[in-house]
Amino acid sequence: MTPDQAAFLAKKKEKAAIRRAKPEDKGELGLTSLMDIVSIIVVYLLKSYASDPVIISPTAGQKIPLSTADSSMQEGIPIFVTQRGITFGDKKVVAMTAEGDIEDSAVTNHLIGPLYDAMAEEVDKAKTLGENIGKPWEGRAILVGDQDLKFSVLVDVMYTAGRAEFSQYSFCIIRKG
Amino acid sequence: MARKKREEDEIVANLLPVMNIMFLLIPALLMAMEFASMASINVSPPKFSSQPSEPKPEEEKKEKPLNLKVFIMEDGYRVSADGQQEGADAGKAADSKAPTIPLAKSGAPLTDYDRYDYAALEAKAKEYKSLFPSEQIVTISAEAKIPMQALIYTMDALTGRTCKLGKVQKGEGVPEDCYFWQPVVEGGAG
Repeated sequence: MTPDQAAFLAKKKEKAAIRRAKPEDKGELGLTSLMDIVSIIVVYLLKSYASDPVIISPTAGQKIPLSTADSSMQEGIPIFVTQRGITFGDKKVVAMTAEGDIEDSAVTNHLIGPLYDAMAEEVDKAKTLGENIGKPWEGRAILVGDQDLKFSVLVDVMYTAGRAEFSQYSFCIIRKG
Repeated sequence: MARKKREEDEIVANLLPVMNIMFLLIPALLMAMEFASMASINVSPPKFSSQPSEPKPEEEKKEKPLNLKVFIMEDGYRVSADGQQEGADAGKAADSKAPTIPLAKSGAPLTDYDRYDYAALEAKAKEYKSLFPSEQIVTISAEAKIPMQALIYTMDALTGRTCKLGKVQKGEGVPEDCYFWQPVVEGGAG
């Protein structure tokens, strides 16, 4: 090994030692672009946020009727009536027959017994709450029906709601077009 | 003069907590998102209902009420005004055999919601409205098996399919293309 070569190798070793001694740079993620995307998504979702006083989440398999009506939803208590059953307050209160009629044992002269009991209980709660907060109870029932729901079932539900002191009714629909 | 060069420290904002909140907000907002635009049709209860009705201010009735009634039957619409069905045989108030507006699709199943002639019904509503401009109430009844979608389309036709009542809720007047927009649902027809 010539002295030049030895000097070269020594210099190389020295450089390598300096390199090794240097602290490693911390890797940083560029979050700014991700933040931009997420912010846009959040703003979009906030704009699409349901601003209606009542959020209607149809039950499985329910086809809400379509309509050209555009009146916004008013505050009320929803009653979900499908071909499978009647749901009130997240609880299925009445089951339907295979033909889409209310079971005979549940109806007496248009009055749907289990639904009436559930509604009367809810009305009592709503009235008490209304008295406590100083806001009179409006008594509006929102009927969330199904496209194939029979008129006879609809009338029975309306009659039962009337007996349970609901005086205003709305049919929930999906805006067409 | 020796000038001390001072390197400015780059301040990097810690975005991770903000990102955490944002990522939690996304599913929360998705859950509350309105996928389909919902609206409502206000209806009056069936007449046989026994609940207390809302007190209404007494209105001065200048003209004879129209008492428009539409019965949705399996074979078409029966339209009657002031107790007289249109198209009924002479001397009869109602004729169960002949509908006022027959089906648009004769023989179509009940689940075919386009079986009714909504355009003809809307034209009829327009005709009555021109005769009774202050009337807005219509009583609708149907046979037991009539599906809700057919009832809703009938209400749309009687209201006027171009009628936008959303403006009324904002305090504007009722548009001219709105005919009978206060439906009363009555049970027991057919």
